[in-house]
Amino acid sequence: MSTTSQKHRDFVGEPMGDKPVTALSGIGDTLGRKLEEQGFDKASVVLGQFLLLKKDTDMFSDWLKDASGANSRQADSCAQCLREWCDAFL
Amino acid sequence: MPDGCISPECSSGVQWNHLLANSDQIPGHTWRSKDREEDPDHTEIPDPRTLTDDELKAALLHHGVKAGPIVGTTRAVYEKKLKKLLQPDESGKVNGAEKAVVYSDSEEEEEEEVEEEEQKADGEEEVEESVCTESEKQTAEQTDLAKQESSQAKLPYQNGSFPYLQCFMPSSRLHARPTSNRESKSKWNSRNAVKSSERSRSRCKEIPVGISRASSVDQHSGLGSGVPSGSQSVMSNGCSSFSSQAFSITQMVKEMESRSLISSSTDADRELNVSNVQEHRSQPIRLQIADRMKNQSVYYTPQDSPHKWGAQPPQEPMKDIIKEIFPETGTTPTGIHATRRRPIKGAAQRPVQYGYPATPVSPATLERREMERRRVPIRIQILVFLIMACILYFIYVNLEDICVVLLDSLNQGFDSEDGYSLQAETEDTQVVSGQD
Repeated sequence: MSTTSQKHRDFVGEPMGDKPVTALSGIGDTLGRKLEEQGFDKASVVLGQFLLLKKDTDMFSDWLKDASGANSRQADSCAQCLREWCDAFL
Repeated sequence: MPDGCISPECSSGVQWNHLLANSDQIPGHTWRSKDREEDPDHTEIPDPRTLTDDELKAALLHHGVKAGPIVGTTRAVYEKKLKKLLQPDESGKVNGAEKAVVYSDSEEEEEEEVEEEEQKADGEEEVEESVCTESEKQTAEQTDLAKQESSQAKLPYQNGSFPYLQCFMPSSRLHARPTSNRESKSKWNSRNAVKSSERSRSRCKEIPVGISRASSVDQHSGLGSGVPSGSQSVMSNGCSSFSSQAFSITQMVKEMESRSLISSSTDADRELNVSNVQEHRSQPIRLQIADRMKNQSVYYTPQDSPHKWGAQPPQEPMKDIIKEIFPETGTTPTGIHATRRRPIKGAAQRPVQYGYPATPVSPATLERREMERRRVPIRIQILVFLIMACILYFIYVNLEDICVVLLDSLNQGFDSEDGYSLQAETEDTQVVSGQD
């Protein structure tokens, strides 16, 4: 039994399409706004960053913490969410 | 960096000049000539920001990190990573040793590491002292008592050989504030219980198996249980159970203090400490009760403990407390009060339950039950079917005779009115049956 949240399951369950960055698990309104300010307005752009970092969850977590001020839990959750999405659809 | 250098040699030289200017920051950095351009791969360049993308990538690869494309957004991450890789090379041993302290598992390891930790005790205590606040001093004092007992006079003033430094506060405070204990204790109690439980919970996650085992035993036995270690187990608690029992213990302590603590238990305390030390070399964590009881007397325990090894079971202090709290319990020779806990559901000796409550049933099951109540049983259905089949067979075989009989009766019924039409019909049917 996984301990993923509903948001995580919703995101990983289907192609992200044009979903906003707040659809990512761990990314709420505050973090989403900060990411959008930096140009990451869609989840797909964040996915791009994740892929640039070679799908390394640790590095992505670090980047996310630096870029948006996320805490460890949020960053890890987002990284895990993206990784599972990649496993399913990429 | 000087301007006007366009040629590649000049640019690399410029870069090297810049680097050399920073060389004083690097201990043991060797001066290299400008001509050697391959040095970035071999030397540890302290400032990743001065590297080009390729050089950064090469440096990361040198440390075993396969970096992806170094773009605008990824560059910062990789620079940070390189920095992290450069730093731990120098301080890796210290971190490893500290982790060894945290993750010590068995008693043997504890004893071996005791000496190591003593040396580190000073450094860590300073850290802890800076961290802990006034409100935590009380718990510090209490928990320090346990430490003192277990340290065996190695470091009478400090945590010493106590392997679980993270869980406790420095003992120096105990010595400094013996009198203010009682007045402010009741105030600090509940707060400390929560705080200490939180801190201990957060810090004592890696409690060794020994303690966790003992604490789990304590949890099952509850207060005043008849665990073989007797009242010791009541008093001792692992960090894991500390939080769960902290509030009840706090209440007990409050009651104790309200009736003015026991003064006669210096010897009992020492023996208590002795037996505690003896039995809990792996469980140095104590209840607040025991700690409070000892107060100043504990300070002497490390020196007295070797002499009173295995003395009479120090039950008096615990007995009094328990008597106050549970006045209806009788005295036992050993002072051990065993209260049977609630039987565990599923245990072999639970009382037989004859009347079980109705289990919740799904609507589908209810429907099915209703249906089956009204249905005719299958056997009866088959029987009826067979009977009908026989009847039809007879009718088929004896069609003619039956028809005659039926028509005759009909004729009799309709003689007065439709006799002719019926006769015509009977003639037709007879013709038909004759053709069959």
